[in-house]
Amino acid sequence: MILALTEHENQNFKPLTRELLGMARRLGQELEEPVAAVVLGSGVDGLVPELGALGIDRVFTVDDPALSAYSPDAYLAALGAVTDALTRGPDAGPKGIPNSRRPYLVMAGHAGIGPDLLPRMAAQLRRPLVAACVDIEKQGERLFMTRQIFNAKMHMRVSLRGEAPYFATIAPGAFPVSEVAEEDRVRPETVPIELGEVHIRQRVIGREETATGALDFGSASTIVSGGRGLKAPENVALVVELAQALGGAVGASRPVVDAGWLPREHQIGSSGQTVSPKLYFAIGISGAIQHLVGMQTAQCIVAINKDADAPIFKVAQYGIVGDLFEIVPEITKIINDLNA
Amino acid sequence: MKIVTCMKLVPDPTARLLINESKSWIQETDLSFVLNEADSYALEEALALKEKHGGEVIALSVGQESTLRILRQGLATGADRAIFLSDKRFRGSDEFVTAQIIARAVDKDGGADLVLTGVQSDDLGTGTTGVMVAELLGWPHASVVISVDAAPEERRVRVRRELEGGITEEVELESPCVLTLQYGINQPRYPSLKGIMAAKKKELRKWDLEDLELGDDAVGVSGSMVEVAAVFVPERTGDVEIISGSPAEAAARLVEKLRKEAKAL
Ligand SMILES: Cc1cc2nc3c(=O)[nH]c(=O)nc-3n(C[C@H](O)[C@H](O)[C@H](O)COP(=O)(O)OP(=O)(O)OC[C@H]3O[C@@H](n4cnc5c(N)ncnc54)[C@H](O)[C@@H]3O)c2cc1C
Ligand SMILES: Nc1ncnc2c1ncn2[C@@H]1O[C@H](COP(=O)(O)O)[C@@H](O)[C@H]1O
Repeated sequence: MILALTEHENQNFKPLTRELLGMARRLGQELEEPVAAVVLGSGVDGLVPELGALGIDRVFTVDDPALSAYSPDAYLAALGAVTDALTRGPDAGPKGIPNSRRPYLVMAGHAGIGPDLLPRMAAQLRRPLVAACVDIEKQGERLFMTRQIFNAKMHMRVSLRGEAPYFATIAPGAFPVSEVAEEDRVRPETVPIELGEVHIRQRVIGREETATGALDFGSASTIVSGGRGLKAPENVALVVELAQALGGAVGASRPVVDAGWLPREHQIGSSGQTVSPKLYFAIGISGAIQHLVGMQTAQCIVAINKDADAPIFKVAQYGIVGDLFEIVPEITKIINDLNA
Repeated sequence: MKIVTCMKLVPDPTARLLINESKSWIQETDLSFVLNEADSYALEEALALKEKHGGEVIALSVGQESTLRILRQGLATGADRAIFLSDKRFRGSDEFVTAQIIARAVDKDGGADLVLTGVQSDDLGTGTTGVMVAELLGWPHASVVISVDAAPEERRVRVRRELEGGITEEVELESPCVLTLQYGINQPRYPSLKGIMAAKKKELRKWDLEDLELGDDAVGVSGSMVEVAAVFVPERTGDVEIISGSPAEAAARLVEKLRKEAKAL
């Protein structure tokens, strides 16, 4: 069985969970393994129907007040309770567990709780984990996975050794969400599982929204973003001048903000703002997943990078391979001439 | 407080990477290597905690001889001593095995109050090593940490961690624990001349496979559950149009396309 660990907030599944569930269904068909979603939390029943609409016909829930806030200890125990139930369930019967019920692959998204939890479980069970997967396939009896390395600049294909279960987190954006056909929408069979006693060694004290939202990108139809390729704080001016010429806003990748070249509210990406402008310039930005998730829904993306293999070109509509210090001032000049 | 801070040697992220002949990794000859960026924030955090609470900071790394350089850098920056985990047989270890080596070493050194790692490495880059170290030590952990407040006498640590979309969370953990530290959370100090001189006299201990009492088949390629089949540059899947020409020509063509084709200007 393939288990897909869902993640939700305010009674909604996260976008990455939709990607995960879609790919889990396709993989289940390919591998002829049943697929089940795992929903952990407190008061999660309302989430189940949506899983059916996404074509998931089996759901394991662990519903417990101890799961209302995420903690590695409680969530590890809960996920463990699910896999235990599968291997030792009361309905296992005298002949033991049918093969199709043994957890074969446990998957989560590579953001949020996935990378915080699955490595712990894999280490606990001494089973292989592959993080940031972009492809999973079986050849003969062996499972092969392709993962991102070097911040998505390269891929590494690996095979997994030993017995199942195997563990994987999937890279955001690697598996596009596809429409679920009407006839595939189901009413899922739900199996509630008890959490039992857990000793929780991490306690969430509070949550806070940081100042990232201070800059209103929402209204900007053009955003010009600069990355580490700018090399020095004084070169941020190149990006600012182009943004001014276009009447757009200035964005940045995380390292630019970390280095203090621009204030935090300019950061775009998973830990910054998510934007969807008409036009997005990525200048000297490599295209790490954490940046891509914040901007890949822009209507038109222009990438300027000296590395022809930079992953940013995969989401771009237009690209210029070359030195930003030579190219960007030329663009600014042309726009300014047009404006005049 | 006794703080172990992990340091990994990685290819310079600004270097152009090429794939090796056997397509199993990148070409390492002529490549420059640096301290993993995230680890520099972990080291700084460790030094700041020591300044506040006293105790000792131990820099730890798993790697080959070339890795000694970053441990010396750690000592020169202010770490009190270093543990160098090195053995030819460690080569090709996956994250789980590396975590196992680190956890063993922490144990052998008599434990610690805190083990710090970077949020992710710039080569393998999945941020799993630290979380696995925590599990193998049987300690709690917190990942993507942006600030640390310790109360050593109460065996508690309070951290702020970064969630998605600009939300942060404050968490209290029992110590000992493992924390993985996010990029850009502090200003890493540079080694001073005095620090560089002092580093020469500091203890740098080397442990190999036998010292860690791990089996031959528990490390390296044979001990890893994840086996590398191939490393490659991903194909460009989208339908990007690469605009060529001199900078001025390319710029003019781009603007033309943005106006006429994409109607984005
Ligand atoms: C938990 C977590 C959250 C994160 N959140 C975010 C986030 O919200 N936003 C974000 O952006 N990142 C985030 N990151 C960091 C992310 O993983 C990458 O490290 C980061 O996006 C890289 O930024 P970059 O592309 O500017 O730098 P690099 O990856 O170093 O890329 C620089 C690029 O500039 C190019 N270049 C260099 N010189 C030139 C030149 N002269 N001309 C043209 N091109 C040139 C290079 O070829 C390279 O492609 C997060 C990481 C973690 C672990
Ligand atoms: N070989 C190593 N030696 C020391 N620390 C390491 C090593 N590999 C990983 N780490 C630590 O684990 C963190 C996360 O690495 P990774 O899981 O590869 O993303 C790094 O930032 C380091 O702090």
